[in-house]
Amino acid sequence: MTGTERTPLDPPWSLDLLADLHAGVLDERTEAELRPRVMADPDARAVLEALDATVMDLHNLPPIPMPREVADRIDAALAAEARPAAPVVSLDEARKRRNRRLGLGGGVLAAAAAAIGIALVVAPQNNTADQPPGAQQTQTSDKPVSGPPLAVKEGEFAAAVPEVLKAQNYGPLDNQDRLAGCLKGGGITSTAKPLGISPVSLKGKTAVMAILPGGAPGQFRIVVLDPDTCGPDNPQGVIADTTIKPTR
Amino acid sequence: MTAAASSDADLISAHAAGDPYAFSELVKRHRDRMWAVALRTLRDPEEAADALQEAFISAFRAASSFRAESQVTTWLHRIVVNACLDRMRRRQTRPTVPLPEAGPGEPVAPRDAMSERETRLMVQDALAELPEEQRAPIVLVDVEGYSVAETAQLLGIAEGTVKSRCARGRAKLAKVLGHLRNQIADANVPADGVNVQAQPRRQWEDR
Repeated sequence: MTGTERTPLDPPWSLDLLADLHAGVLDERTEAELRPRVMADPDARAVLEALDATVMDLHNLPPIPMPREVADRIDAALAAEARPAAPVVSLDEARKRRNRRLGLGGGVLAAAAAAIGIALVVAPQNNTADQPPGAQQTQTSDKPVSGPPLAVKEGEFAAAVPEVLKAQNYGPLDNQDRLAGCLKGGGITSTAKPLGISPVSLKGKTAVMAILPGGAPGQFRIVVLDPDTCGPDNPQGVIADTTIKPTR
Repeated sequence: MTAAASSDADLISAHAAGDPYAFSELVKRHRDRMWAVALRTLRDPEEAADALQEAFISAFRAASSFRAESQVTTWLHRIVVNACLDRMRRRQTRPTVPLPEAGPGEPVAPRDAMSERETRLMVQDALAELPEEQRAPIVLVDVEGYSVAETAQLLGIAEGTVKSRCARGRAKLAKVLGHLRNQIADANVPADGVNVQAQPRRQWEDR
């Protein structure tokens, strides 16, 4: 050591070292040694002030309110989550229920009751009731679904909502423009992307179910369209249009 | 229950007890702040919306196991930050979409609106230029006002790491934002990864 050699704490200081000092990264001893020297140096002090100004700029960034369509989409997803999954009733259970209700016995009638029981149950395609929390898929998909479309029954469309909310599959409608045209035919003005959309099977025919914001928190509007006939000039192309609220 | 008069912890309890509206109320209270974090971290509105939906559903399912040792907001924030970090890891090389210039309902200042807007955009752009590992702690500490300790907890990293990442990020931002126009040369600092030339400079510095 000659006595004139620089140590890391001698000026000029690197920006990184000054930023570390500013952020409290340095150990107490180093900071205690460095800070008075830095504060005595106008240029180094100006760097600390520049870092302060940067933090102030960041702090002054305004809040960003969540856009309405995102809020609606999340409300609908939570509403669907709050809705109990439609129960899938086993053949045996269906037989027992029907028999109990009707007070009937006998193999032929029980078999008939079971058949009716199956027809009355609308089950989502992927029943997740037995899966542990967190195992259910919540991401949306715009990929066409392979396999048969989700079966729905008139008057029980709500049971399909959790599944449809996970999809962005326009099916035979192809795209959002065609959807908007079909909705227009039913007097529904909507240019926004639906919260969920999927082909469904209704009475053995392919239809398209779209879920739109319901106009109030927690509500959503279910519209079922006939892809073969719907369009801006055909109100008959809208098979169903109903607004539902979540229940638990 | 009277949602407006309830604490966050009350809402979580009510949700666990079967109140169908309690969790939605909790989300409503915090969604703007969560949205800002997700958007500023991910820089893509679609990705931010997906991450938030995923996070809120996951929180909905896990809420019954929430223990009051931590604040509800910290717990919710951690779930949101994790959902964002997961997405950031998954999309490492994918290009991102720039943030919209102004969100709906964003306050408009009557005076100096143009220069304020310009500053805001510049800061937003500069933030977007930071590496993700520096951007996340800066968003949480400097923009959202979380403490270093809370941020360390949220990000699952040491407090010292939060501080040093913030230090590196702030140094880059100070250059990009023009606060260090003269000081860089004086401090003998080589230019690092930030494309200083490509960024707009402040013209209204009073220094």
